[in-house]
Amino acid sequence: MSSERTVTIVPESGLHARPAAKFVEAVNDHESDVQIGHADADELTAAGSMIAVTSLGAESGEDVRLIADGPDEQATLDALERVLTASGDQLTDTDI
Amino acid sequence: MSERTFTGTGVTPRSGVGTVVWYSSDDELPDPDDVAVEFDVECERFADACETARTELEAERAQTIEHVGEQEAEVFDAHLQFLSDPQIEDGVESAIEDELPAEHAVQRAFAGPIEQFEGMDGRMAERADDLRDVRDRLVRHLTGTERVDLGSLPEGTVVLAERLTPSDTAQLDPDRVAGFATVTGGRTSHAAIFARSLALPAVVGVGDELYEIAEDATIVVDSEEDELVVDPSDERWEATQTPNEVDVREKPVTTVDGIEIEIAANVGQHAELERAKSQGADGVGLYRTEFLFLNREAAPSEDEQYETYVEALDVFPNGRVVVRTLDIGGDKPVPYLDCPDEKNPFLGERGIRRSLGPDTDLFETQLRALLRAAADGSGQLSIMFPLVATPEELTTALETVSAVADTLEEEGVDYVVPELGVMIETPGAVFTAPELAAQVDFLSIGTNDLTQYIMATARENEHVADLRDPRRPAMLRAIDRTVGAAHKNDAWIGMCGEMAGNPQLTELLVGLGLDELSMSVVTVPDVKAAVQTIDATEAAEHASYALKAVTREQVIKRIQSGNCNQ
Repeated sequence: MSSERTVTIVPESGLHARPAAKFVEAVNDHESDVQIGHADADELTAAGSMIAVTSLGAESGEDVRLIADGPDEQATLDALERVLTASGDQLTDTDI
Repeated sequence: MSERTFTGTGVTPRSGVGTVVWYSSDDELPDPDDVAVEFDVECERFADACETARTELEAERAQTIEHVGEQEAEVFDAHLQFLSDPQIEDGVESAIEDELPAEHAVQRAFAGPIEQFEGMDGRMAERADDLRDVRDRLVRHLTGTERVDLGSLPEGTVVLAERLTPSDTAQLDPDRVAGFATVTGGRTSHAAIFARSLALPAVVGVGDELYEIAEDATIVVDSEEDELVVDPSDERWEATQTPNEVDVREKPVTTVDGIEIEIAANVGQHAELERAKSQGADGVGLYRTEFLFLNREAAPSEDEQYETYVEALDVFPNGRVVVRTLDIGGDKPVPYLDCPDEKNPFLGERGIRRSLGPDTDLFETQLRALLRAAADGSGQLSIMFPLVATPEELTTALETVSAVADTLEEEGVDYVVPELGVMIETPGAVFTAPELAAQVDFLSIGTNDLTQYIMATARENEHVADLRDPRRPAMLRAIDRTVGAAHKNDAWIGMCGEMAGNPQLTELLVGLGLDELSMSVVTVPDVKAAVQTIDATEAAEHASYALKAVTREQVIKRIQSGNCNQ
């Protein structure tokens, strides 16, 4: 059995360097095996690989599909959803 | 020797002069010897190199957090993830199986992913830089080669390089480096972002021509004019003032006729405080507190906030630190806050609306920390409320301050009720400015958001960028009205938007009657210099002339003709 979830990416910079690092870190902190892909595509890639995750080029506002397989599926998906929906973008001078 | 000019993209309004040191980060590997490769030995060497690289990256990350900022350090998190990527591990292992020594195995394992990212556009291409950076670090540890130590360059060095990676820029000591220039890169490259955070003169994306500049050449890095000048003429040399020698004015400045204008810095990261001080800021005119609340699982405690605020006040013992209470909304959700998903977050529940609504507890905790810090920190604390649109919102906020003070009194905790003020960012606040000013000690105009709301132009929308210009007559009149309301009610008036940091507008703003201007650290010295050339009486005449303009073009013309110092 595996669990699936579709999440909309919130961080302004999309699934790039910084949010991607946090995402991969969260994947590797859990036991379940995770795959990620664009919501509108069948292809999936290893979510525990920074190279694979950043090469998706997923942008803010886009939907991604997550599939977790293992003993802590729900906890894993919850943690990943938190990363993908957090906003860690720095407030710059344009925020005045 | 005649001077030669090279052009690129300047990334800071700065210029510097110094001596060229070429920096190259990647060394050619010799061909592998025909020695038999022992699988276990090479795997072990690779594992050791990874371990060393990891330790190094973590140290550089800590160093960057301390010297530059939390945000700039996050790139190292990405590097750490690339370092432990299973694709790389598998690639290295299979290359070692093919009889390659570890350093060549690393080169081969990274080649595919680097090529893959290089073929992509914009930000994706920057990942290729990240991968190269990680690869070169591993190869360096495997071959034991030393790198030019960017941390111990002689003072007055201008670093030239094909590109500077995040780990390179993290080592640059801004007090010794007069600037840098790179062959590749654009305004958003890591190197450019670092240059802006550290107020370093930098020109990126010069192209292959850069290689024509010789080691030890004398060079001017004129970031403002997008150019490099090699072997500058004496005049050119004289005209380039290095910020560390000539530009920085540590004391408050006055106009020619003796009016003191407070020049402060906008700060959004704790690490920027020291930089603000070293660039001559009199204080902090906008201390954004969001960094304390973002990127974490739970809200910061009262004590943690208190300590952070006291530290900030201690950096400016003779100055003022204006702290803006939490300004967060639907566009920047925080995991532990229940921010609604709004259709139009910039017109939604944000700023003071959340502090007086769903985030009352957070607001009270922040106020407790601030009132305690006001009693214990060296500098003068002021508190400012964001996005106020009505006098009654302000009344409620001030009642909350009083209630918090009463509680602290009952508990016998030391506190001071500091100066209180309003950030003027909404047309509602402009039109009720007299009633707002009557209740507080100061007003501060946040021109970026105010322009957005007055001109009805979304901040990120390039199609309306032209309308979103603070030099529009409507904006000038809004500023004038706000200044008048503040002064009539014995409140001081500041400005903390981008407009405040433009030295070409300083005369206009002094003429309009602003008492304080707060800006990005990088423009502080230029604006201080501009203040000292201005006659406030004349500036007021020029400003009243500009206020009568009907079009932006007229405003621009009147600003230019009035600026005798241009």
